[in-house]
Amino acid sequence: MQPELKLSVSEFVDTLNQNLEYSYSGVTVVGEVASFKVNQGKWVFFDLKDDESVLNCFLPVFQLRVPLEDGMKVAVSGIPKLTKWGKFSFTVQNILPVGEGSIKKSFELLKAKLEKEGLFDPLKKRPLPERLENIGVISSPQAAGYADFVKILNERWGGLKIKVAKTQVQGTIAADQIIKALKYFNERNEVQVIAIIRGGGSADDLAVFNDESLVRAISASKIPVVTGIGHEIDVSLSDLAADVVGSTPSNVAQLLSKDKTAEILHLKEKVLTLKTNLIEKINRQIDENGSQIISVADRTIERIVLELTHLEEKAKVLNALNPESVLKQGYAILSGNLSPGNVVQITTFDKIIETEVKNVRKRDY
Amino acid sequence: MSEKETINQKIERLNKEIEWFYGDDFDLGKAAENYKESIELVKEIEKDLNGLKNEIEILSEDFS
Repeated sequence: MQPELKLSVSEFVDTLNQNLEYSYSGVTVVGEVASFKVNQGKWVFFDLKDDESVLNCFLPVFQLRVPLEDGMKVAVSGIPKLTKWGKFSFTVQNILPVGEGSIKKSFELLKAKLEKEGLFDPLKKRPLPERLENIGVISSPQAAGYADFVKILNERWGGLKIKVAKTQVQGTIAADQIIKALKYFNERNEVQVIAIIRGGGSADDLAVFNDESLVRAISASKIPVVTGIGHEIDVSLSDLAADVVGSTPSNVAQLLSKDKTAEILHLKEKVLTLKTNLIEKINRQIDENGSQIISVADRTIERIVLELTHLEEKAKVLNALNPESVLKQGYAILSGNLSPGNVVQITTFDKIIETEVKNVRKRDY
Repeated sequence: MSEKETINQKIERLNKEIEWFYGDDFDLGKAAENYKESIELVKEIEKDLNGLKNEIEILSEDFS
């Protein structure tokens, strides 16, 4: 027979809570929100109910990462507890909306709130760096989306250094893991861009990317963030906060890399164009040199002509001073001793006359 | 040319060499040699792109 266990009320409550924590740690309960209220701006209380039962839930307001309204269906994880006042409640650690309706409602409420704060401002968006060499990736390497991303990246470009932070990409614990990975990359500053990727899934699967803390962490990242979540039609609040959005993980790989075949072709064309350009430059140089030679020859000829003209003018002057020219005009040259009785010579244009001097006297002017 | 030059750095260098042909420093006397260098660099880049693999490191950090 077992000895009777006697405990005080406090001891019983403590023991019960230890058992509850041990037995139900990590439990997730799904139900509908009712009687949601926030007390003194610090404490959140709501009931989680289904058709037959009600569970009182409690959490501090800073842990409320999705907006809640009565009627929303949510999945809450946490620890059941008996308070010292004898009330049974569920201390919530994580909440995610469940089902399309609740997810959509929560999405719209949070989107309006964060948009008002400016988290989605297009002016805040940074472009991807020009020459990417170091990339940070946050994803689950077991996921199909990751495999597609790596395959496309390897096909398109080489020489990249990629660091992958392994995280969950769905479920209540995923948001905190992704936030930690963002913090890791931001603190080390070794990558030029951070890519958050996961493949397609249901609205429940992708709900983590509407977590308020995660959206804020993406918006606050010092390193540009690119997201590729789900399929093309899926748009999450994380996408709205990111600097660049890819439609899928494969599209993110295309955004982060150039097509090497196209790049090689482009570079070859640039170099081939150089050849044509060079030939044009050489021909132009030849033309310019030829023109210069002709120009020098022209100038030389001009100078010669000028010199010849000067020579002609000089010849005319000399001709005018020639004694024969003077004689042609009817003048005569007298030569010999001009004393009376001497014979002197008179030269005209066509005669030489010898004559005797009779008398010589001075002229009066 | 450094052995550690990345593909992007080689492309950057090639673009600068090409720009020289269109710039004010262009010298017909050096053009043939520079053109030959550009051809060689394109071939090198093509070889790198077709041969180089991406380095993927899965971090050992636990983010849970």
